[in-house]
Amino acid sequence: MSRKFLKESTIMKIHYITGLAALLTVAVHVMMRVVVPFSISLEYENVVANYQNILYALLLESVLILISIHGFNGLRVMLLELRQNATWEKFVTLFTLIAMLAVIGYGTRTIIVVSGQSL
Amino acid sequence: MEAVKDKQDSNGRTNREGLKGWLNPTRYGWERLSYWLMRLTGLFLLLYFVGHVYETSNLVGGLDAWNAMLELTQTTFGHIFLILVIGASTFHSVNGIRLIFAETATGLGKPGRPDYPYEAGSLNNIQRSGIWVALILATAAMLYGSSVLFGGE
Repeated sequence: MSRKFLKESTIMKIHYITGLAALLTVAVHVMMRVVVPFSISLEYENVVANYQNILYALLLESVLILISIHGFNGLRVMLLELRQNATWEKFVTLFTLIAMLAVIGYGTRTIIVVSGQSL
Repeated sequence: MEAVKDKQDSNGRTNREGLKGWLNPTRYGWERLSYWLMRLTGLFLLLYFVGHVYETSNLVGGLDAWNAMLELTQTTFGHIFLILVIGASTFHSVNGIRLIFAETATGLGKPGRPDYPYEAGSLNNIQRSGIWVALILATAAMLYGSSVLFGGE
């Protein structure tokens, strides 16, 4: 039996914790868009001003990381339900891990660049 | 479990339906529907999330790039899609909380001897009503989203 980096029970706890935390952070993120009329909240200047608030930028980064972990782990669980063998499990785990890191990297780049932009 | 007749896998098993079985929400009651919706909404939200991360990256391109992206997404179809996202995320969240309660054995009652008709004690009215609450809240959230997106507020 191959040694696992994390037990499945630990991964599921992370899945539940990231799900609950994402619920809270996404609720705040959505509320920021309905505090003013929705179409006005999407104007370029308003959005960039949000990104330049350090607390909001940290919130966005949290949303990005939490949902990436929760979502790609969910995908991993679904794919492992379909088929079970050692090769498939390694492929699915590696694929979802790389995809998760890619999305986090790409989103973090957006947050860093936009928060440093001048209007 | 229903067997797929005359279709054996390499181990001689006949009950491997694969994706087709997975996509079938019937046969096993409300809990199966909840399982099916949880996975569908999860996949849908994951795809939306990846698209959203890409869509917001247009900010890096400046005002023109952002406005070009808004022209694509702030349409009737875009708003309908967003309403589906609101419904999916509400159902996924509420049902997820119900599942956390189920997996921590909260609200399941005490274990008992399996007597005929062998109804599982864990599939009680509290759990079943949790599924209904998730569906009702998702509908309410979609209605609220519609009022915001199409109501001009």
